[in-house]
Amino acid sequence: MIDPALVQSVIRILFAVVIVTAAYIISTRNLISLVSVYALQSLTLVLMALALWSLEGATVLLAIAAVTFVSKVLVIPYFIASIQERIRIRRDIEFHFLSPTTSLLLSMALILFIYIALANILEGTPARESLFFFGAVIGLSLMLMGMMVTFSRKRAITKVLGYLSMENGVLLFGMFVTELPFIIEFLIIIDLVILVMLTTILTVGLDSTLEEYHQRLHRFHLVGDTEDGP
Amino acid sequence: MILAAFVLVAAAVLAVIALGRTHRQMNSACIAEAAIFLALSGWLILSSQIPMTSLAFGSEFFFIDHLGIYEVLIATVIFLLAAVYARGYVENLIEARELSRGSLKLFYGAWAFLLLVIVLAFFSDNLALFWIFTELTTVISAMLVAILYARDNIDAAIKYIFIASVSMLFSFVGLIFLFEISRSVVGTGTLNWTVLMQQAGAFPPGMVIAAFALIFIGFAAKSGIFPFHTWLPEAHVRAPSAVSAILSGVLLNVGIYGIIRVFAIVHQTTAVSTVSLLLLVFGLLTVFVAAMSMLPQMKLKKLIAFSSVENMGILLIGLAVATPLAIFWVLFHVMAHAFTKAGLFFSAGILHLQYHSTLSPDAVDDMQDVFSLQPVAAWGIILGGLAITGMPLFPVFLSKFFLLVQLAGFSPVALVILLTLLFIAAGAFGYFVIRTFTQVSGPGAHTEIVRYQTPAGMNLPVIVLLVLILILGTVITSGEVAFLDQVVAELMF
Repeated sequence: MIDPALVQSVIRILFAVVIVTAAYIISTRNLISLVSVYALQSLTLVLMALALWSLEGATVLLAIAAVTFVSKVLVIPYFIASIQERIRIRRDIEFHFLSPTTSLLLSMALILFIYIALANILEGTPARESLFFFGAVIGLSLMLMGMMVTFSRKRAITKVLGYLSMENGVLLFGMFVTELPFIIEFLIIIDLVILVMLTTILTVGLDSTLEEYHQRLHRFHLVGDTEDGP
Repeated sequence: MILAAFVLVAAAVLAVIALGRTHRQMNSACIAEAAIFLALSGWLILSSQIPMTSLAFGSEFFFIDHLGIYEVLIATVIFLLAAVYARGYVENLIEARELSRGSLKLFYGAWAFLLLVIVLAFFSDNLALFWIFTELTTVISAMLVAILYARDNIDAAIKYIFIASVSMLFSFVGLIFLFEISRSVVGTGTLNWTVLMQQAGAFPPGMVIAAFALIFIGFAAKSGIFPFHTWLPEAHVRAPSAVSAILSGVLLNVGIYGIIRVFAIVHQTTAVSTVSLLLLVFGLLTVFVAAMSMLPQMKLKKLIAFSSVENMGILLIGLAVATPLAIFWVLFHVMAHAFTKAGLFFSAGILHLQYHSTLSPDAVDDMQDVFSLQPVAAWGIILGGLAITGMPLFPVFLSKFFLLVQLAGFSPVALVILLTLLFIAAGAFGYFVIRTFTQVSGPGAHTEIVRYQTPAGMNLPVIVLLVLILILGTVITSGEVAFLDQVVAELMF
């Protein structure tokens, strides 16, 4: 067997990786690398699930790792990347940008806040154990950082990535705080896939139907030209 | 067995829609689905097998109790009437080129699937399962909002998806909390509502408050509670009116249903006083924001949408009071609001087809000669407006009145504030109707407006709903009271 102390320090390193990827997602302008970083973040989660499995031996963690790998490291990033290419042909992507310094400072404050809040709430419960407590803090922070991305960016496709990284945070939180039944984790991923598909298709629809929509408005002589771009 | 029946009917309907060629076929399939669901739930109630915990399959995750079947009953009635209404309405959307014929399959497919998902959500015993079905209702109904393929619709749908889904993730964290609480108290964690209700007495209050607050965020966003209500007016206004009726009459109930279920658990613990205060504050804020937004409102559908926000706030306040009588009237109000609001949206849809005002989203509703052009819709709005503002003879009057009486015993200050806000909201509705509906064109101008021949299938649901709420508001049968008492008893208030 692998030495538990080694596994624990590996998990600590993976925590740091997760935070770095989250910080990158918040602050980057480059859309293509955004998707790869998301895939990397999901991969970190997979590794973490495997590491936890070697500590606890719960087979549900293996199942979570497998499902996460297939859906979040392979399928969803591939899907989003192909959609991005389709939009990219039509026009360049401009996006509303929260300055990186502000958002990074904000997320540091968030992590601190969650640490204090959770320390109060979980006081006296078994979950207050150091590694698991830390996992919960990182999970919730990742979630709130994802939320910042969702609400500060204008492009729907970037919002989707924010949502996805939020969901990674929830998975992390669930993994460390308690042992959720596998069926629940699995259903969430199904929900995630549907949501990603729908929103990205809508985004494409937003671009491709624009002209048709304007033609229709002109035909009815109802409005003049409206502003462009979401 | 019974769940399998629901699923099989929905699968058959989806198959018919997938194979169907004409609009009529697909629409009839949806009408049939709602009618069969209604019959099934009626049979369930009459054969008095409820509460039913040992279902033939999935008994671990599903159950049917009085609250669930009550919500399903409301949902299926509205879906049935909305499907009848959609036949004429959607046909006209196609003629007006607001909806392409190619999207019909998607529209009715999503419609039929949405009803199934909602029914399964109401029958979920496992809260995580309920969460997932609720999340699916968001995605599917957003599809129905975006179906018109106008830019504003897609924007509204995306906003709806993101606000609701992001908040629902907080709910999920809350559920993880709840799971962990039950695991640390009993040993084996569970999210089954029936089991949680039995264990709840031993839950530590601090954790319960945290769990409830997180769960509340998501379900509040689903039901349009301030400050998560911002998606609601846009989605309701942009959606086709048949869908708006469902959004307001059924989907908001899904969120409130979730809050009721989780609050019932909290009610068993010592955390109830803190949580009640939270609900009261958010309820009052919601009613306040809704009333203030209704006041300057110039668009009919937006006015009706904000009135939905107002009513959700009232429901929260009723829950905060948490006496058995208050819960009784909260449940009654859920039904009264759903039926009244569906009728209002149906009427607004007829007026929309007559005046075509949504193609210019920012324009003020300019309605002239409503009474000669669309008498049924006009009376639908007037009587529906009277009903929703809480005039006697209508069911909302009963629930509002008794909720206010209950609130008086809980917090007189809140009563005064709420009463003032309700007057403002009622005033806003009255002002809009009087100002808009009294516009009569001059003798020469009448030729401009062509009368839209409303099909009987569109007027019928409005009339049915008006009759239904008049009956509900004037006659209260002992069976109805016994049924609602049963729900309150099962929620252990």
